[in-house]
Amino acid sequence: MFKNYFKIAVRNLLRHKAFSFVNILGLAVGMASCFLIFLYVSFETSYDNFNKKADRIYRIVSDIKTPSEVIHSGITIAPLAIYLKKDFPEVEDAVRLASDGFLVTKGDIKFQEKRTLLVDSTLLNVFDFPFVEGNKVTALTEPMSIILSQTASKKYFGNEDPLGKHVLLTGAAINATITGIMKDIPENSQIHADMLVSMSSAKQIYGQSTSDSEWTNHNFLTYLLLKPNANAKRLEEKLPAFMQKYHGQQMRELQMYETLFLEPLRDVYLKSTHTEVFPATILTTGNINNVYIFSIIGIFILLIACINFINLTTARSAERAKEVGIRKMAGALRFQLTKQFISESIIITLIAFIIAVVLSVLALPWFNQLAGKTISTGIFSNSLQIAELFLLSILIGIFAGFYPSLFLSSFKPVSVLKGRFSTSTKGLMLRKGLVVFQFVISIALITGTIIVYTQMNYMRNKDLGFNKEQEIIINTNFDKNKDAFRQSLSSISGVLSSVYSSSVPGGDYTSAYSEMQNAKGETQKTNLNLYFINYDYINQYQLKLTAGRSFSKDFATDSTQAMIINESAAKMLGYTSAQQAVGRNFSQWGRQGKIIGVLKDFNYKSLQQQIEPLTMRIEPGAFGLISIKVAANNLPSTIKAIENKWNTIVPNRPFEYNFLDDAFNQQYNAENNFGNLFLNFAVLAIFISCLGLLGLSSYSTIQRTKEIGVRKVLGASVSSIVNLLSADFLKLVLIAFVIATPLAWFAMNKWLQDFAYRTHISWWMFALAAIASLLIAFATISFQAIKAAIANPVKSLRTE
Amino acid sequence: MINISQLEKVYRTEEVETVALNKLTMDIKTGEFVAVMGPSGCGKSTLLNILGMLDDPDDGSFIFNGIEVAHFNERKRADLRKNNIGFVFQSFNLIDELTVFENVELPLIYTGVKTADRKKRVEEVLDKVQIMHRRNHYPQQLSGGQQQRVAVARAVVNHPKLILADEPTGNLDSSNGNEVMQLLTELNEQGTTIVMVTHSEHDARYSHRIIRMLDGQTVTENILI
Ligand SMILES: Nc1ncnc2c1ncn2[C@@H]1O[C@H](COP(=O)(O)OP(=O)(O)OP(=O)(O)O)[C@@H](O)[C@H]1O
Ligand SMILES: [Mg+2]
Repeated sequence: MFKNYFKIAVRNLLRHKAFSFVNILGLAVGMASCFLIFLYVSFETSYDNFNKKADRIYRIVSDIKTPSEVIHSGITIAPLAIYLKKDFPEVEDAVRLASDGFLVTKGDIKFQEKRTLLVDSTLLNVFDFPFVEGNKVTALTEPMSIILSQTASKKYFGNEDPLGKHVLLTGAAINATITGIMKDIPENSQIHADMLVSMSSAKQIYGQSTSDSEWTNHNFLTYLLLKPNANAKRLEEKLPAFMQKYHGQQMRELQMYETLFLEPLRDVYLKSTHTEVFPATILTTGNINNVYIFSIIGIFILLIACINFINLTTARSAERAKEVGIRKMAGALRFQLTKQFISESIIITLIAFIIAVVLSVLALPWFNQLAGKTISTGIFSNSLQIAELFLLSILIGIFAGFYPSLFLSSFKPVSVLKGRFSTSTKGLMLRKGLVVFQFVISIALITGTIIVYTQMNYMRNKDLGFNKEQEIIINTNFDKNKDAFRQSLSSISGVLSSVYSSSVPGGDYTSAYSEMQNAKGETQKTNLNLYFINYDYINQYQLKLTAGRSFSKDFATDSTQAMIINESAAKMLGYTSAQQAVGRNFSQWGRQGKIIGVLKDFNYKSLQQQIEPLTMRIEPGAFGLISIKVAANNLPSTIKAIENKWNTIVPNRPFEYNFLDDAFNQQYNAENNFGNLFLNFAVLAIFISCLGLLGLSSYSTIQRTKEIGVRKVLGASVSSIVNLLSADFLKLVLIAFVIATPLAWFAMNKWLQDFAYRTHISWWMFALAAIASLLIAFATISFQAIKAAIANPVKSLRTE
Repeated sequence: MINISQLEKVYRTEEVETVALNKLTMDIKTGEFVAVMGPSGCGKSTLLNILGMLDDPDDGSFIFNGIEVAHFNERKRADLRKNNIGFVFQSFNLIDELTVFENVELPLIYTGVKTADRKKRVEEVLDKVQIMHRRNHYPQQLSGGQQQRVAVARAVVNHPKLILADEPTGNLDSSNGNEVMQLLTELNEQGTTIVMVTHSEHDARYSHRIIRMLDGQTVTENILI
């Protein structure tokens, strides 16, 4: 019986080539988009799954409550790992990771390694980083032991076997030994590092061991491996008492109350709310909302494609009706016909599946680029995934074929066999409804794209409150010759000025436990973000003072006893005007003094985040960065000159620099990728919708051939006929617009909530989406309509 | 074989109510060849559809081989139909996407005959209607007469007890028409009951009995043999 179905299906496809093409292409493109989204979603949800013990691994995070704020910190203190393991039998193991950058040298080869981690020797017992060489158990026990990734190993040792060989780390007086090689950590790992250094090396590198009894120094990521069957919730409940036992006294004194939580390893990447963490190059974070958004878009695109299938199939029901009648007369039962039509739709989806697989394979490199990471190296690299996709397409076939098969198999043989069978109104309302639905989705996606791009543009162009143009940032990594280098810069003609600091906008900063005099005159304890800057910093970045004065060499005390804060900090301390804050006392990291000035708030973090309180002090020991303000003209030669200076004065370090505005905008990479993906899927959605529209309009045009002929003979103009044929469909697009607008407004408003600084949704965005979709729909429909309208009427009438 | 009494069929549309069959009564015996005649719109096709169980009556009784079927549901009717009744229409009603062979094979597929048997039986009837050499052609590649012969072959492939033919020669010229009539006569001689609607007195003369209808009722009967 199936053979018979198959034959009929194939012959039908071949006989109505244009219809089959539109039908299959729509499905294939829809399925291909869906496959890519499927790969994306599987990738995003696969983070850290390669760890065999992932179910038992938890990251410790904490909420730190001060009288002024609650800090959601992903970074923890050193003693936790030690004492948790000691106090709780359910903790099988614990590991700490600290991030640092090192200048690594081996003979003439030198690199500034940014992705290095100091880790406890237990690391490889907890995580399954793919270890290839060396002794996994002991590799990280001895001081000055290093595990390299294969990529890093290649850089220093080429094809030599690096095991047992040495490299020199900045700060350390003795060589470090390579004790292990691992494959590069998989892309879907939250932790990334090219080099793992044993934690016991701290003494050799920093001159002091890790602060194992320091309960205030937040510097480490801490992960626990619980015993099988251990109850994480129950353990979490015991942690407040644990903190009281070891740290209670100190918490009360400092008024910083720390509550610990356990985050399941697999939730960290997508769902963590404790965002005060390591640099993104080492600890990557994703966004569960994006996963949801793309899943929904994937389902929508698939729905659009299925609707095409349903519409095109039912629109052609008149042609299939005769066959239904004959088969019923020959003894077919309704369920047999239902089965036949569903089989047919499965056959069509399987053809579309094959095309979709080819399309996705072709689109994958491009998709990886859009997503900004290697989502997948190939669909065929994972046979399970291919099997899942195959099953998915059979389900799609059943889903899409369900209604048409019920519809077609319901025809009564009497009405069909009588001769002419009219379906002009049968199922028409439904088809119109489905077209509206398709365009609701498409228009909503177009509107969404417009809003996403407006927001991107807004973020790139908003006045951030500081000058970010023509600022070159160089990280000296505290090289001993940095002063000589900075002084030499003034001799370069293109350099306008240069200044030291610990931090620049858009980059890392520290936060410091501080005691500040507030508006009531009390000492308020708080954790404040801190920039160490030199005298000219405020000037060079064109930051605006709203009260008091800037740092000045005229005041000898400025170098140690002066602080500048931003307006947010003044507000947090209760001052109603900036002026009130000037002259108040501060105590921070061993320095006491007075606030000398208040800065207008500037966006030193990405625009997703509110401007937080910030303090600034002079502390030459913390100056690692040089900001160089350069003239806009002759930029390449200026950079060349700076590089030459660097290479002569700091010969042992590679020259690396970046532009502040680029670095700042890199914070929006994830959003940019999101926007690009969004745009592409919106285009695909509208493309598939238009394919369906093309099919339907050409079908209704064929049905109306005779009417058009009569009208033309009676003197109708081409344009009036094009209008006649297009008006119906354009009405549907307009209805869709009316429905889509509030939906898009609601959804995008929600999306924008993630941005502390956001553009306003305004009417023109919707108008633009409406005009765009109307134009596209009109172009699609009129293609058919014009063809019909200019055809010779005699021809169409003679065939009747 | 067929006993019909007080059969009624009314078509209701928004504006009008058409009484297609009005308290119609008739009997047809096994082995008979009956022609039904009458002006256009008098209810001939309606009657044939009800006899063929493609449609159900609104009122009255329809006894088929001793079983009351007037109130059978769709499934039961389909069962009875596929095992007992073959159809021939004016407009051939072949499936364009299937070859001659496949069209004739269709009823056998739905009655669950095995592939090997099917081949044998289809070839047998194709031989009988002399269309064997065209077995792999599609309907559009055949003349009207050939198409109708395929339709007849399809109607008889299941060895039905009853063949219903609605103006089987209506679309054919006289020589093709005669061939089809010849075929039906042969089938009747082999024992198949035939009910045929026709407008042609010439074709009606092949039958044993002519039932004349008017406004949904039988008016006269002419016994020819
Ligand atoms: N589906 C329907 N809806 C409404 N009225 C119908 C329907 N089918 C048939 N009729 C009406 O029922 C009456 C009988 O129709 P029927 O098709 O049986 O006539 P007929 O005798 O076969 O005519 P002809 O010789 O032209 O084929 C006609 O008046 C027709 O208009
Ligand atoms: Mg008729």
